[in-house]
Amino acid sequence: MIAVMLHSLPFLWQGLLVTLEISALVVVVSLVWGVLFGVGLCYGPRWVAWPIRLYSDIVRGLPLLTLIFTIYYGLPVAGVKVGNFWAAMIALAAFETAHVAEVARGAIQSLHPGQADAGKAIGLSFPQRMLYVVFPQAMRRFLPPWINTVVDTVKGSALLSLVGVVDLMLAVQQVIGRTFRPMPLYILGALIYIAINYALSYTSRRLEARFAFIRE
Amino acid sequence: MPLSANSDPGPLVKVRDLTKAFGTNQVLKGVDLDVQRGEVVCIIGASGSGKTTLLRCINLLETYDAGSIEVDGVEVGYRGDGSGRRARSDRELARIRADIGMVFQLFNLFPHLTASENVMLGLRKVRGMATAEARTMAEHWLTRVGLSEKFDAMPIELSGGQQQRVGIARAVAMNPKVLLLDEITSALDPELVGEVLTVVRELAREGMTMILVTHEMTFARDVATQVVFMDAGRVAVQGTPAEIFGNQPHERLRGFLSRIEMKTWA
Repeated sequence: MIAVMLHSLPFLWQGLLVTLEISALVVVVSLVWGVLFGVGLCYGPRWVAWPIRLYSDIVRGLPLLTLIFTIYYGLPVAGVKVGNFWAAMIALAAFETAHVAEVARGAIQSLHPGQADAGKAIGLSFPQRMLYVVFPQAMRRFLPPWINTVVDTVKGSALLSLVGVVDLMLAVQQVIGRTFRPMPLYILGALIYIAINYALSYTSRRLEARFAFIRE
Repeated sequence: MPLSANSDPGPLVKVRDLTKAFGTNQVLKGVDLDVQRGEVVCIIGASGSGKTTLLRCINLLETYDAGSIEVDGVEVGYRGDGSGRRARSDRELARIRADIGMVFQLFNLFPHLTASENVMLGLRKVRGMATAEARTMAEHWLTRVGLSEKFDAMPIELSGGQQQRVGIARAVAMNPKVLLLDEITSALDPELVGEVLTVVRELAREGMTMILVTHEMTFARDVATQVVFMDAGRVAVQGTPAEIFGNQPHERLRGFLSRIEMKTWA
């Protein structure tokens, strides 16, 4: 069994890279948009906050797989031609953006409203208040659940194999198709996913310790 | 602390017919208030009388529904155009607020910054000072409020009285035209009230224009140039400390003062 695993490893390499690449891209895109949407939810006027709220509630209410298929089959119908890779990327990024937005909203709203008052009172503009007062404090509450969304992204990326993206998951299945040895391969795949995600949560704990400047 | 001289002889803060409701609760029902340069105005009144809301309207931490507030001749929250009033932009508001200092009941220090960084933030980002210059200024003010040992302390490491003095230093370092103080000793242990009020007393002596919402009647009597008694969203009585704390014919004020007196001696 170990021999099968070791023998298969090189064939999974390309798939692993695709998984990491997709995850990294989705994490960056969903971080930027998610934080913007979170700020919009907290401070935006109604015409900003309501569409975001609607978007977030719908996307978070859908199983990721449904969202992937909807976008994969829906975009061509809507006349948008993108390959399966990008369709899947868009779906996963849209999904994670909604979750990051809620994490950001929660982190921002956990601050005492007096903090915004104090920032306003010394004459800080809105972007300055975000940058120097809100974000540094919200960071501590943001990081742990945000790392969870990163872990969810890595796990969720496995679903992209269902629309033919050759990621780690599909690479595993391809090797199984040739070797007819599912158990060692699935176990190997699982170990790789666990290794990635364990590294992430370990980093998260280290970061949390660094931002623990407020004792409560 | 010399404040920049201004040719305009009118009141520094001019509030006219200010109204404000939270939902159906009419908190301010037409408030007028004039504060001259160098004056120390103490606003007193029962909780719910609208005094904190009035104070927060002056630098637009609360919006107001109607009426006007001018600070040094500039309408604070809104600017008129032909058809009515329009809310000011974020940047305009920031510029106006930079000249109006505020000290809060719960201090509201930035917990992720040291004492001097709390004071420096506005100096650097709003006044555009270089870090070294801002640091010097921050240390000057922290020393003035008696915290020369605490430049690099985090807020959590300071007592309430010390935190509040950092709050005062943070506001005053911006060289504001007027300082708003919102029940700044209400959250303090009794033995820490004195150290904070001493700092305010000194600022008053140096001519800082201040508007205080306070429950410290002794302090109001000693330091105020004008005392304003608010009742049910209106200015009910207004006068010098002698007039207010002397033999008062106004029944609600007399009742309020006697209740406060009882609390003080309890």
